[in-house]
Amino acid sequence: MLHEMIQSLPQVLIDGLTLGTVYAVVALGYTMVYGILQLINFAHGEIFMSGAFIGTAILIAFSSMGLLHSIPSILVVIIMLVVAAVLTGFLGMGIERVAYRPLRNAPRLIPLITAIGISFVLQDVVRFIAELAKGNYIITGPSLFTKQIHIPTSSISSVFHDSSFKTSFLLVLIIAIILMIALDFFVNKTKYGTAMRAVSLDRDTAALMSINVNKIISVTFFVGSALGGATGVLFAVQYGTIDPYIGFILGLKAFTAAVLGGIGNIRGAMLGGIILGILEMFAAANLSLLTGGVLGAEYKDVFAFAILILVLIFKPEGLLGKPVAEKV
Amino acid sequence: MKEKLSAFKLHKTPQLILFVAFVIVTSLALYFSQKSVISFLLLLSSLLFLYYMNLKNRTKWMIGLILLFILIPFASSGGPAFQSYMEVATMVGIYVSMALGLNIVVGMAGLLDMGFIAFFAVGAYAYSIFATPQASNFMPFGHYPLDGNSFWAFLIIGAIAAAITGVLIGVPVLRVKGDYLAIVTLGFGEIIRIVFNNSDSPINFTGGAMGIASVAHPKIFGYELSFPNQFYFVTLVILLFTLFAVLRLERSKLGRSWKAIRENEIAAQAMGIPLVKTKLMAFALGASFSGMMGVVFAAKQQFIDPTSFTLMESFTILVMVVLGGMGSVPGVILGAAVVTILNLQVLTELTNWVNQLNLSGVVSIPDALSPAKMQKFIFGALLIIFALYKTNGLIPAKNRVFDEKKLASDKSNSKDNDPKGNPMTTLKDKDSKEQTKIYS
Amino acid sequence: MPILEVTNITKQFGGLTANSNVSMTVEEDSITAVIGPNGAGKTTFFNMITGVYQPTSGEIKLNNESIVGLKPDMVAKKGISRTFQNIRLFDEMSVIENVLVGMHSHLKANLLSILLDFPVTKKEEIEAEKEAYRLLEYFGLSSLLNEKACNLSYGAQRKLEIARALATKPKLILLDEPAAGMNPKETKELTEIIRQMGKEFHTSVLLIEHDMKLVMGISEHIIVLDHGEKIAEGNPDEIRSNQKVIEAYLGSAAVN
Repeated sequence: MLHEMIQSLPQVLIDGLTLGTVYAVVALGYTMVYGILQLINFAHGEIFMSGAFIGTAILIAFSSMGLLHSIPSILVVIIMLVVAAVLTGFLGMGIERVAYRPLRNAPRLIPLITAIGISFVLQDVVRFIAELAKGNYIITGPSLFTKQIHIPTSSISSVFHDSSFKTSFLLVLIIAIILMIALDFFVNKTKYGTAMRAVSLDRDTAALMSINVNKIISVTFFVGSALGGATGVLFAVQYGTIDPYIGFILGLKAFTAAVLGGIGNIRGAMLGGIILGILEMFAAANLSLLTGGVLGAEYKDVFAFAILILVLIFKPEGLLGKPVAEKV
Repeated sequence: MKEKLSAFKLHKTPQLILFVAFVIVTSLALYFSQKSVISFLLLLSSLLFLYYMNLKNRTKWMIGLILLFILIPFASSGGPAFQSYMEVATMVGIYVSMALGLNIVVGMAGLLDMGFIAFFAVGAYAYSIFATPQASNFMPFGHYPLDGNSFWAFLIIGAIAAAITGVLIGVPVLRVKGDYLAIVTLGFGEIIRIVFNNSDSPINFTGGAMGIASVAHPKIFGYELSFPNQFYFVTLVILLFTLFAVLRLERSKLGRSWKAIRENEIAAQAMGIPLVKTKLMAFALGASFSGMMGVVFAAKQQFIDPTSFTLMESFTILVMVVLGGMGSVPGVILGAAVVTILNLQVLTELTNWVNQLNLSGVVSIPDALSPAKMQKFIFGALLIIFALYKTNGLIPAKNRVFDEKKLASDKSNSKDNDPKGNPMTTLKDKDSKEQTKIYS
Repeated sequence: MPILEVTNITKQFGGLTANSNVSMTVEEDSITAVIGPNGAGKTTFFNMITGVYQPTSGEIKLNNESIVGLKPDMVAKKGISRTFQNIRLFDEMSVIENVLVGMHSHLKANLLSILLDFPVTKKEEIEAEKEAYRLLEYFGLSSLLNEKACNLSYGAQRKLEIARALATKPKLILLDEPAAGMNPKETKELTEIIRQMGKEFHTSVLLIEHDMKLVMGISEHIIVLDHGEKIAEGNPDEIRSNQKVIEAYLGSAAVN
C-alpha cells in the first residue's frame, strides 16, 4: 500500500501544487477582508467565479474574432487577467459599499446574511448572462497551453511513477507566485499597505491618525477581489470548463486554507492554501487505498471540511496566527 | 383617514364582521372556482389578519383552528385541484415546522446554522431505510420493510435521531466562535449529504445517489394514508405540537438563557448559564423538529434521494427565518409560509404564464429568465434587502410584556403578611419618586 | 470567618505578569475594595476569581472550597456573582428578563417540565417573576420593567447590572468599577445602595473602584495593587497614610 502511495506521489504533488496555489490566492481575499473588518466575505468565492467567466468571455471573443492564432497566448492570458482583475476589483468594492458598509455596526450575524445574499445573486446573474449568450451555463472556453510535459520522475528513483502536467500548470504556478509576492510587497512596503495594517489593528486609532478608513477598506476589497478574479482566470485556463457554481465550494475551501494558515495573516493564507491543495489531492488519490475501499475519492470534499473543523477546534488561531482572547 | 384606521384597530365588532365576510367570500370563491390560486392564497392570508385582530388570544386560537382544520380543507375540496392545494398546504406545514426549529438556533440562541437541512435528512433517511427493504442489507435481525404502522414510532425516532446528530455535530462545533460556526455547520451539512450520497458501498445503507424508493405510507388503525389531504392533517397536528413546544420554551428559563447567550455570552456565563450545554440544547431541539418533519416528508414523497437535502434547502429555511424576523415565532411562521408558497405556487404559476405568453407570441422571454429558475436570485435579493432595510423581518420579535399590576399586587399581600414590612422595598419606599425621575 | 481566601495567585500572559503572588481574604458580610492605578491588574484579579482566566499558580477558596479550575458558570453557581467594567447587559431583552436570567441557577425547571407545562414549573416561574420585580423595586427600576435594557440611561444600566448579579443570590458579589461614568449625585446614591445591600441580601462585597470618596466611605478593608503586586492592605485610615500607596498613585518623584 505504501508502495503505491509513493509511486503516485510526484503526480499528487504537481496536481496539489496547482490546486493549492489557486486556493492560496483566493484565500488571500478572505484573509485580507477578515483582517480588516472581521467579516467572512462569503461572496468572495463568487468573485472568483465572476473572474473565471470574464476571462473566458474575453477568450471566446478573441477566438471568435480569429485572433487566437495571431496573438501569442501569453499576451491573451495577460489581457484576460488584467481585465478580469480590474472588473472584479470594482465588483468587490461595490459589494462592500452596498452590502457591508451600512451594516458595520449591526450585529455580526447580519453582514454574514447579506454576504450569502450577494453570493446567490451573483451566481444567478452570471448564470442567466451565460445562458442568454451561450444557451447553457456550463461554459468551455478554447484551450490554451495544452501541451503535456512529461517528467521522468521514475529516473530519480524507481519507487516513483512518471508524472506529467500541462504547460498551463507552469503558467498558473508562476502567475500565482507573482501575485502573492506583489501582494506581500504591497501590504508590507507601500503606504496603502501600512494604512491597511493600521486599520486592521485598530480602526478608531487609525482614523485618528488621519487615515481615511473607508477608503482603505475599499482598497482592501479592490485588491482582494482583483486577486480572486485573477485566480478565476487562472482556474479557467487550467481546467477549461466552468459554471456559475464553481465559486461556492472552492470559496469554502479557500476559506479553510485561510483559517488553516491563520486568518488575517497573509503569509498564513498562502501556506494554508498550498498545504490544503496537496492534502486534498493526496486524499483524492489515496483515500480509497487507505481505507480499503470504504471511502472513495468522493470524500475528498469531506476531507477538506474535516480539516477545517479540526483546525477550528484544536488550533483556531491557525498555523501562523496569534491566539486572541476576548477582553472581559 | 388615519384616525378612522386607528379607531378600527380598536373596535372588535367591525373587525370581526369584516373578517368573517372576507373568509366567507374567499372560501366560496375557492370552492366554486377551483383554479383560483388567488382565492386560496387570500384564504390562507386570513390567518395573518387574524393574528393582527384585536381579540383575546384564546378566541384567536379557536378561530385559527377552525380555519385550519375545517374551513381551508373544505373550501379547497370543491374540485380536481383539491389535492394540489392540500399538497401546498402540507409543504407549508413542513417548512413552518422546520423554520420554527431553525429559529430556536438562529433567532433565539443566535447561532448561525447553515447546514440545518442535514437534520431533516436524518429524519427522512431514518424512516426510509426501515420502511423499505433497505434495512435488511445491514440489520442482523428483524424483518424489513416495517409496515406503515411504524410511522408513528418513527416520528419520535426521527426526532431523537436528529437530536443525537445535532449533539454529535454540536459537541465539536459549538466551541467554535460566531462567524466560524456558520461555515462549520455548512461544512457539516455538506458532509452529511455527501455521506448519504456515497453510502451505497461496500454496504448499501442509503441507496447512494439512486435514493430510496417505495417508502411505506403511514397506516393508522389499518387504514393507509396516501393522499395529500390526509398528510395535511398529520402535518398540522405535528406542527401544532411544535408550535406549543416553541411557545413554551420561549418564555421559559431555557428560552431566556438562549437569548442571554445571543446577547452576551460572557455575561450569560457569569450568571451561571453553562454555554456549551445550553447551546447544545438549542441545536438538539431545533434539529428534532426538523427530523420529525423529515419522517413525514419521506412518508409523503415515498422516495428520497440526496438532491432533496442540498445547501440550497438549508439556505431556503434560513431565508424563511430572516424574512419573517429572527427570534419571532409569528414572523417565522409567516416567513416560512410566504417562501414556500412563493417557491411552490407563485413561481410555478408565473412560469406557466410566461410560457403561455411566449407560445402565443405576445412577448418573447428567454428560457434563462424563466421565473422558476430565478429562485436563487429572488432569495439572494430578499436576504440582502431584509438584512439592510428590515433587519427585524416582517413581524419583528417582541419581548414578552409583563403585567406590572400582577407582579406588584402580590407585594402588598406579602406586606400584610409580614408585620415588619418587606425589607426589599425599604429603599424604594424612601425615595422612589426621585429615583425614577433621574433614571428613566 | 473569611468567605473568600486568595493565596499567592499569579497570572502570566506570555511574558507579561498581570498578577504576582497576590493574597487576600474577604470576611463574611464585609465590604472590601481593591484599588490601584490603571493597569495594576485589578480586573485580571477579578477575572481569576470568577473563572474567566485560570491563575498560573495559587489557590482561590470560597467558603474553604477551592474554585480554581471551575468555569465561570460553575463559579456563579457556587455563589460568586459579578458586574462588568464595560457594562454587559442583555441589550435586547427587557429589564425584568435580565434579572430573571440572573435567577437561572435557582430555577429547577428542565426540558421535560417546560414542554409538559408542569404546575410546579409554572408556579416557580411566577414566583421568580415576583422576586425579580421586588429586586427591581429595590433599585428603583420597577417602572421600567418592560423596557429594553439598551434603552436605559447609563446609571440605570449600572444599577440593573447589580440587580441582575444579586438575582443569583451570591455569597460574594464582585463590582468592577460600579461608579464609573456616574455623576456625583448618582455616585452618592450608589454608595448608599452598596452599603445597604450587603446586609439586605446577606452578601459580601468586593469592589474595584477609582472613586476614592466612595471607596473610603464604605470599605471596611482595602487592598492596593500596583504593577500586579499587592503593595498594601488595611482599613481606610491605614491606606490613606501608607507611603507606598501614595507613591504608587502620585509617582515616587512627587513624594520625594
